[in-house]
Amino acid sequence: MTSTFLKRFSTLSFVGLIATGPLLLFVGGAHAAGVNTYQTTRKNAGSPNSDIVKKDANGVVISYGNSAITYNAPSPALASLGQALFLQNCASCHGTEANGVPTNGTGGAYPNLVGLGPATIDFWIESGRMPAADPRGVQASRRVARLDHQQALAVAAWVNSLSPSYPAIPTPNLAIANVADGAALFALNCAACHTIEGDGDALAKSTFAPSLRNIPATQVVEAIRTGPGNMPRFTGNLSDYQVNDIVKYVTSYIQHPQNPGGFGLGGLGPVAEGFVGLALGVGLLALVGFWVGERQ
Amino acid sequence: MSEMQEHRTPVALKGLPADDPHLAPAARNPQLVERVIAVMFVLGTVLMVGFGWAYWINAQQWKLGATMGGGLFFYGIGLVAWGKYLMPKGPFVEERHTLANTTQDRNAMAAAIVERGGSVIKRRKMLGGLLGGGLGIFGVVAMFPLLRSLGPLPKDTLFHTDWRRGTFAVDQSGRRVQVGDLGIGSIVTVFPEGTQDTERGQAVDQTVLIRLSNQDFTTQKGRETWGPMGYVAYSKLCTHLGCPVGLYEQQLQMLVCPCHQSMFNVTNGAIPNFGPAPRPLPQLPLYIDAQGFIRAQGDYHVPVGPGFWERS
Repeated sequence: MTSTFLKRFSTLSFVGLIATGPLLLFVGGAHAAGVNTYQTTRKNAGSPNSDIVKKDANGVVISYGNSAITYNAPSPALASLGQALFLQNCASCHGTEANGVPTNGTGGAYPNLVGLGPATIDFWIESGRMPAADPRGVQASRRVARLDHQQALAVAAWVNSLSPSYPAIPTPNLAIANVADGAALFALNCAACHTIEGDGDALAKSTFAPSLRNIPATQVVEAIRTGPGNMPRFTGNLSDYQVNDIVKYVTSYIQHPQNPGGFGLGGLGPVAEGFVGLALGVGLLALVGFWVGERQ
Repeated sequence: MSEMQEHRTPVALKGLPADDPHLAPAARNPQLVERVIAVMFVLGTVLMVGFGWAYWINAQQWKLGATMGGGLFFYGIGLVAWGKYLMPKGPFVEERHTLANTTQDRNAMAAAIVERGGSVIKRRKMLGGLLGGGLGIFGVVAMFPLLRSLGPLPKDTLFHTDWRRGTFAVDQSGRRVQVGDLGIGSIVTVFPEGTQDTERGQAVDQTVLIRLSNQDFTTQKGRETWGPMGYVAYSKLCTHLGCPVGLYEQQLQMLVCPCHQSMFNVTNGAIPNFGPAPRPLPQLPLYIDAQGFIRAQGDYHVPVGPGFWERS
């Protein structure tokens, strides 16, 4: 009786040890590699699990990607400049450690930026949303950026140096993109909120999906991969090739629409366009009718 | 009666003297108007010739339209101006004759139909009956397409989707979704494997798959196993009128319907908290298999989409 129990116990322990060993290794490895909860395990989907990965002498990933999109980590040399800019422009809300705890307040009111990845920082700064015009506003709007491209990269470099994470700053290769596939993917994944014309629309609780008419290609990739604000993140559900196709569609057809009638009316839709057509057309016909039927 | 009023009194056109003021043109300066109308006609003629030339050289369509449309436009302006300004200004009267025929004519017509036609048909009763029966059957047959246009009976298809126990969730391209694919705050539209390219798959089976966390997520009591590793799935058909509920706001944790702005909270089982939707979006129970693929535990527990008569 006792011997059977002991046997079973030892077998179970052995199996348990064998099973937990790789698990611990995996967890430890994942932690060491700085994998955060926003990342995907899918290959070629915005994380370093990509076709081409370049590392520096210390084994730190400096760029990764594939023929569709290359993601470059901002140069660590910019980090000291980035810290100065951060203290000047961002620290009053996000705190001097970028952890969302202001010097004279408690945490929780403002987002913790550590571990968000350079693409997130770059997107919010380069789209002019940060530094925020109204930190208590429901949703920040696109404005002229206060920091220039190099300064945004510098801030991203410093925040990234606190806890290296992904996605890095993307560069899409639009030359190989398929715009027709991009249109289909846009219709399925983006048009629900941004409308098929890319003009954006109102959403719940005073939020809105912004217009896509004037957004540079890099920021389109950054928004898709990082999901700013209420926008969902598109991680492993879209490959880099598919994201590249969508960006091509947005920067070509959405931003340079073909309006055979000469005036697109912002793609308001058939009802609104029909109303304008009717109002103008019938109004014109009424004037002509008035002239024809008028009597001295 | 002043001269002005006298000129505006309607007169009969017949028998007016040639110098009657009613016959004068309406325009104060008829020579000028005539010249303007002549210019219109010349422009119209030029454009019509241009239309012929454009047609001959097979020009672009907008050139065809512009030349022909422009030509007709100038002809039209000229004709209307001619009628308005150069015709005798009137006003004239012309008495109408009565439209109805005389009583005598109408009685004769009625008599011809009733007596002559009736007697002809009565003489050939069999033919008359056959004709009437045939026309009646034609009327019945004519209703068939009307009834058929209502389509086949739905039977129990409204109660079930193609999700079964063990069905793989695939995206639009047919790729199976894996547990590591989605980051937190990601959304993807999934279908039962094999139906992603079918009409029924896209119309009925479409499901939104959202990752809410890294741990098993319970949306409601009794659904403890439905959201493995933070993956929750809801029918994409709005319970109001069946629009695709694809607007996901990852901070508000809200799914918004684009048609009538119904809003569903994805963390508590998609209970609507705004808009006309009467019921929560049905949640699809999921599990993750040994290879890490997202699969369905079974069909939806309630019918998807808007209500219908037989729905209890």
